[in-house]
Amino acid sequence: MAFNFNWSPLIADTERVRAMLTTALNKSPKPPIIVDDILVNELNLGPTPPDLEILEIGDLAEDRFRGIFKMSYTGDAYLTLKTRVQANPLNTYLSTKPSFASPQPLAASSGLTIPLQITLSDIRLSGFVILVFSKQKGVTLVFRNDPIESLKVSSTFDAIPFVREYLQRTIENQLRVLFMEDLPAIIHKLSLRMFNPEYQALEEIRSQAAEAVQPRIDPFADSSAETMGGERTPADGEATETYASFSQKNLLRLAALSESQRTLSLFTPAIRDTVYRAWATAADRGQGMSGYSTPNPRIATLSRLNSSFDRSATLSSTASITSGTGSHITRPSLVSNASAPTTYTLGSGRPRPHAQRKRKHRVVNLRKTAVENDASDVVSQSSGYDDSISASESRSKEESSSVTNPSNQIPSVLREGEVSTPPRSPKKIVGFTTDKADGVASSSTPSRRPITPLHKVIQPPDDDDPTPRASMVLPAKENEKRPQRQHLPRMQTLPSRPKGELYRSHSEVKLPDLSNAFNEGSTGGILEQAWMMKMASEIARRVAEEKSGGERWRRTSDGGTSTGGDAPPAYAS
Amino acid sequence: MLEFMDYVQSAFYAGSRWNTDNSYASLTAATTNLLDFRTPHGVRLHVSSLSSPNFATSYTLGNKGVVDGSFSFLFSNLGVKVASRSSAVYLGHLVRGYRHLQELRKPEDASAWETVVDEKVVQKRDALLYGRMYLPGSTLEALYLRRLSPSRLLSIRAVSGAQLPHGGTLLAQLQNDQGKYTTEYLCSTDSALLGFRGLYNFGYDPRDENSQLDSSAPAHPWDHKSGRLSVGAEAYFSPMNKSGGLSTGLRFTTLPVHTGIPYTMTLTLNPLMGNLSSSYAVKAGSDLSLCTRFDFNVYSYESDVTIGLELWRRESSTAWARKMLRSAWRNAPRPAGESTFVSSDFVMKQQDATGVIKARMSAAGKASLLWEGRVKELLVSVGAGFDMKSATRALGSVGLEVSYSS
Repeated sequence: MAFNFNWSPLIADTERVRAMLTTALNKSPKPPIIVDDILVNELNLGPTPPDLEILEIGDLAEDRFRGIFKMSYTGDAYLTLKTRVQANPLNTYLSTKPSFASPQPLAASSGLTIPLQITLSDIRLSGFVILVFSKQKGVTLVFRNDPIESLKVSSTFDAIPFVREYLQRTIENQLRVLFMEDLPAIIHKLSLRMFNPEYQALEEIRSQAAEAVQPRIDPFADSSAETMGGERTPADGEATETYASFSQKNLLRLAALSESQRTLSLFTPAIRDTVYRAWATAADRGQGMSGYSTPNPRIATLSRLNSSFDRSATLSSTASITSGTGSHITRPSLVSNASAPTTYTLGSGRPRPHAQRKRKHRVVNLRKTAVENDASDVVSQSSGYDDSISASESRSKEESSSVTNPSNQIPSVLREGEVSTPPRSPKKIVGFTTDKADGVASSSTPSRRPITPLHKVIQPPDDDDPTPRASMVLPAKENEKRPQRQHLPRMQTLPSRPKGELYRSHSEVKLPDLSNAFNEGSTGGILEQAWMMKMASEIARRVAEEKSGGERWRRTSDGGTSTGGDAPPAYAS
Repeated sequence: MLEFMDYVQSAFYAGSRWNTDNSYASLTAATTNLLDFRTPHGVRLHVSSLSSPNFATSYTLGNKGVVDGSFSFLFSNLGVKVASRSSAVYLGHLVRGYRHLQELRKPEDASAWETVVDEKVVQKRDALLYGRMYLPGSTLEALYLRRLSPSRLLSIRAVSGAQLPHGGTLLAQLQNDQGKYTTEYLCSTDSALLGFRGLYNFGYDPRDENSQLDSSAPAHPWDHKSGRLSVGAEAYFSPMNKSGGLSTGLRFTTLPVHTGIPYTMTLTLNPLMGNLSSSYAVKAGSDLSLCTRFDFNVYSYESDVTIGLELWRRESSTAWARKMLRSAWRNAPRPAGESTFVSSDFVMKQQDATGVIKARMSAAGKASLLWEGRVKELLVSVGAGFDMKSATRALGSVGLEVSYSS
């Protein structure tokens, strides 16, 4: 894993950084010894970029990124400040004391202001930094610990050792405060200005409304110049496209496709990496093999994760992201699967352009009350797919291993003929799911480790009702169809409960019942099958409704994502 | 305008015959009264009372923040006999302007302070206790004055507040006035500041009984008969901070005997910081005083010029009659009493004034305007500060203070 820094633009545009740094330095109350404003005279970030080492990636999407890095910087950056200081110690001493008990000297406390120029050089930084990037909320950079190891302070008073040491001490302390507290705010504001044209227009020109589409291909050249500390957002390249940006190729292909439908032309363009409704329905009805396919997304996710990092290292790949051909993600590996499982794998794991996919929940759940418990089960089962990207490798492996439990087969088998929903459309919910249950995850919340949802597992209550219900089998199928990436923008993605446990609980309790139901269904008749399918569709809709009230998840162990189940039922089977 | 408590305190000094002018701290008193007057900020109301000659109270209410205020009490075992009603108080005593220095006196004998009570010699020591509490911020100020001997004064000041470092500060001062020279020792608990001030008056030594004041005309204006040359110095040192300060000063002032226009010239120097300050104050007429001051720093070449003006408005009800008096009768001599000491603070030379206007202007663009006077029975002070060089805030601060005392 490597990062490629385009460091040279950083030196180019430092005007704004200087202005923001000046404001930040003068914002807090100055000690009485500093008489005038502190002005940033010169800021040079040097030729060497800092070294970044990824420790943990918490969230990764096209428009979001969150990670913990270990940063070290041993470069030639230097900063020159200019101010005026009070040279009379009696003046600074008495100015801060109440005048009633002050000796009120006649002339001994008259002041002498001396201009002072300070140069900070030989900056050595080393620390842990949490980087959170979101398209709408900008970049936030927070230091976990104090990053300054050493720095050299030289000033116009270098000839006086007492003053030199005093300045070194004072400025080092002030810079520590600046790095820990003010730098995240500066970078956040700068990133908002660069990434969000609405924010920029609001700031600069109030009358003009900015477009939502940002056709920026390579934002690093601009944004990196604004980051003072040299922190980079390495995954920005793959996360810079918006929901609304379409790739030219796909647009043309879709246009050709619609043309062909209208004009009865025989030419239909092949659009790669798409899921058609017909495939989903056919696969559902045809094979009960979805159980086998469940491990694939997860394992494929891991490989995808790794490969995506490699690809994001090169900036040139940003251009290819918007093309939608999927060349940068491990699409070939998915395409190589069989068509039916391909459906699920494609549906379940890939960070694909959101524009291609509108995930609608087309299941109607007519049963209100009795489905509550089942809905929780449904939700719990679906959670595993939601968070395969956000989970760390170890947890993913655990999931994958648990999923290979052959008992999984049975619920998924029973899901045949059930919800034939196409993959759900991604909701344009911005921000990181920092704790996966907040309505608005603000990227400016400092320093929270990406909490893997597994830790917040709340076991669903065991379903004691022995009657077989389609709801038990419903969620796995839903999860398979969901593309992996689309879970990320959702605000309340469900935690992934340990798969094995869930399935185990189901298998323990429901297996005989389900088998009975299945046997009954095979003999009892089509009526019961149809009824079950109807129930399943209703339950799925119920699930969607509950997910939209996602904040209850933590408390009541009900789950919910923020997708609304508002789509009209098109496949009520 | 002096606050009521400061007014009572100066009455205490006068009543115990302490010369406040004979101190290095008041070397430039005439200049600072004319140039460094305080303009009110916001609206403030003072209600004070001298309930008895020994006890005074004062309450203030202001609008800094939402509302702020303070209440203060003063007790003195020396009865303060001074007009305290706001309708009767002499405005000239409240508003400090050009100061005429009084003659130097020999310090009194210690026996003057002894009284015999029940065949025991009791030494009466004048003391004053003062406390002030600021209400929103819960800051307490306290002052204790004691006349240890006819030539010694001890003052202990303390400020206590939660937001202050170490919870507060205590300052103790011991002043020693020997007529020809005075010395002051002070120490403060805040960073253990130690200070020393000294003042030496050239010329006539009141302690020397042999040398009497010549009644002949002065040979030149710098003669000690009509003018007094004083030199002084101060030094501060803080062992904790390992820092300190030093300054020295020179003053020449004309005494009331002087026949010409009274004037005062001062020169102060801070050798460590290179600050040089010279001023010239003149009492141009009975109602007009002018003053200029020039500051210069030899290290940083910063300089500033400040000009000040004070104009009194007198009652004109009997002014026409007074103009017709002969000049010799115009200023009636005061009847000689037992205690001929009259503090320069409480000299009543002229008819009382109804108002005074003060103004100052500096080359750095800062100007101030202040009007103080009596309206009906209230004492009103209106002032404003300007900053000509600041583009955004030309009018710096405006204030109004209303004071009532009984």
